[in-house]
Amino acid sequence: MTSDLAVLTEDLTKFYGDHRGVEGLNLEVGTGEVMGFLGPNGAGKTTTIRLLLDFLRPSRGRTAVLGLDPRRDKAALHRQIGYLPGELAFPGRDTAEDLLRFFGDARGGVAWSKVTDLAGRLEVDLSRPVRTMSKGNKQKVGLIQAFMHEPALLILDEPTSGLDPLMQQEFLAMVRDARSAGQTVFMSSHVLAEVQHVADRVAIVRDGRLVAVERVESLGRRAVRAVEIHFHDPVDPADFTDLPGVSDVVVSGPVLTCTVDGRLDPLIKAAARYEVVDLLSAEPDLEETFLSFYYHSEGAGDAHRTRA
Amino acid sequence: MPTALVRKTWRDDRRALIGWAVGVAAFTTVYTGFYSQFQGAAQLKQEALPQGMLDFLGIADMLSPAGYLQATIFSLIGPLLVLMCAITLIARTIARPEEDGGMELLLVNPVSRPAFAGQRLAATAAAVTVVAALPGLLLLLLVPAIGLDIALSNVAAAGAGLVALVWCFTGIGFLVGAVTGKRATVLAVTGVLAVATYMANAISGMADGLGWLRWLSPFHYFIGTDPLHTGWHPGALLTLTAVGVVTTAIGVVLFDRRDVGV
Ligand SMILES: Nc1ncnc2c1ncn2[C@@H]1O[C@H](COP(=O)(O)OP(=O)(O)O)[C@@H](O)[C@H]1O
Ligand SMILES: [Mg+2]
Repeated sequence: MTSDLAVLTEDLTKFYGDHRGVEGLNLEVGTGEVMGFLGPNGAGKTTTIRLLLDFLRPSRGRTAVLGLDPRRDKAALHRQIGYLPGELAFPGRDTAEDLLRFFGDARGGVAWSKVTDLAGRLEVDLSRPVRTMSKGNKQKVGLIQAFMHEPALLILDEPTSGLDPLMQQEFLAMVRDARSAGQTVFMSSHVLAEVQHVADRVAIVRDGRLVAVERVESLGRRAVRAVEIHFHDPVDPADFTDLPGVSDVVVSGPVLTCTVDGRLDPLIKAAARYEVVDLLSAEPDLEETFLSFYYHSEGAGDAHRTRA
Repeated sequence: MPTALVRKTWRDDRRALIGWAVGVAAFTTVYTGFYSQFQGAAQLKQEALPQGMLDFLGIADMLSPAGYLQATIFSLIGPLLVLMCAITLIARTIARPEEDGGMELLLVNPVSRPAFAGQRLAATAAAVTVVAALPGLLLLLLVPAIGLDIALSNVAAAGAGLVALVWCFTGIGFLVGAVTGKRATVLAVTGVLAVATYMANAISGMADGLGWLRWLSPFHYFIGTDPLHTGWHPGALLTLTAVGVVTTAIGVVLFDRRDVGV
C-alpha cells in the first residue's frame, strides 16, 4: 500500500442481506486529488462512503483510508477526515454555534476564526438552533463542520444538495481552496455538472458496480454532439452515413442532422464537397450524453472494458 | 474534565434529566413528609386490604416508619420512576441517534467505537445514578429531620439498593440498544423485563411452590432482603451491579462488531 493514496479499496463489497449495496469496488484516490463519485440514486455511493468511515463493515474486500485501517485506526483516521453525511441530521437541540464548538472540541480544538470565516463565506447565521434552520442552512452548517478542522481528507456525500446556485459556486471555491492547500476531496453526486468544474477525475458507479474512472478533461472528447448542417442544395445521404463516428443521419432536402461521437473532422471534410450555408453544433451536454452512456445499458459493454 | 462527547450527551439530555430529578425528589419529599398525616389512613388501608394483596405490593406493614417508607418509596412507585428515567435515557445513548440520523455526526468523533459507546454510556449512567440516588440521599436528610425511627445505615442500604437496581436495568437497556439500535425495542424489552421480574418477585412470596422464582428477579436483590429493617446486603447489591456491568460490557463488544445506521 503506497502512501500517496488517500483512498484505496480492493474488491470492496457490501450486501444488505441479499440486496447489493456495492460489489467488487476497486478504487484509488490519490493524495491531493479531487475525485467526483458519480452515479444515479441507489448506485451505492453512500454505501461506499459509509464503508470508508467504518459505519458499515464490508461483506468482502478491504479498504485503506489515508493509509489506515478504518476500523482498527478509527480514532486516528477520523481526526483527519471531514465528513458531510448525505442524509444530514444533527444530534440535539443546540444552536449552530454550540454544535460547531462541540465538533471543534471533539477534534482537539479548532481556531474559532476558521469557523466564522466559513460561516461568512456561506452566509449562515450561527446563533440559531440548527433544528429550526432550512435545509440549505443545515447543509451549510454541515459543510462548516466538515471543513473547519482543515482535514487531510474531505468525504462529502452529495454536498451541493439543498444549496442555491450562488452557494454552490461558493462551495466549489471552498473545494478548490482545499485542493490548493493539499487536501484530498472525495465527493459524491448524481449530477455531473456539480463536480465537473472542480474534480480531477470522476468515478462512476451504477447498480453497485464501478463502471468507469475518467479524467474530467477526457469527458468532453467522449461526448456525443448533435450537428445540423444547412446546404445550398439538397445532398445525398449516402455521402454521410458511413463516416466514422457519425450516426443518426437524417437528410431532408438541403438540411442534414446527425450525431457525432468524437472528432468532427470526417463530417466537415465530407460536407466541404457541397456549398455549406450554416453549421450548428450543439455544445456537448455531458449530462445527457456522457452519463446516459454509462448509466444506461448500452454503455455497459464499453464500461466493462474501461474498468478492466 | 469530561470529554466533549460526554458534555454533549449531558447537554442533550438536560431537560429530561432536570424533569426526572425534580419529579423523583418531589415524590420522595412529599411521601416521606406526610408520614404522620397518613398514619390513620395507612392503618385503614392496611386493614382494608387482604394480606395477599399486601404481600404482592411488597408491603409488610405500613405502620412502622420503615414499613411506611418501604411501602411508599421503595416498593413500587420509587423504583417505577427511577427505572422509567433510566430506560428512556439509556435508549438515547445509541438507539435514538441511530434512528433519527444524528448518529453519523456523533460517530465521526475521533475515538474508537468502544470508546464512543463507553463515553455515551458513562455520561448517561452518571446522570441516571444521580437521579436514582436522590431518594436515598433525601431520606438521609428527611428521616432525622422528621424524626422517623429508622437507622440511617439502613436508609443508606435501601437507597444504595435502588441505585444498584437501576444499574442492573440500565445495563440491560444499554445492551438491547447497542445490539438493535431500535429505541422502541429498548423500551419494550427492558420495560417488559422490569414488570415481569417485579411480578416474579411478588408472586414468589405468595405461592409456596414458586419461592425459587425470586432468585431470578432483580427486585428480590433490591428489596427482598428488607434493607430498611436488616441493613446492608453486599452480596445482593453486587449481584445487581454485576448484571449491569456484564450486560454493558457485552453491549460495547457487540456494538463494536455491527453496522451502524442500517
Ligand atoms: N440500510 C439499507 N438496507 C438495505 N438496503 C440498502 C440500505 N442502504 C442502501 N441500500 C440499498 O443499497 C443500494 C445502494 O444505496 P446507496 O448506497 O444509498 O446509493 P446512493 O447513495 O448511490 O444513492 C440501493 O439499492 C439501496 O436501496
Ligand atoms: Mg446517497
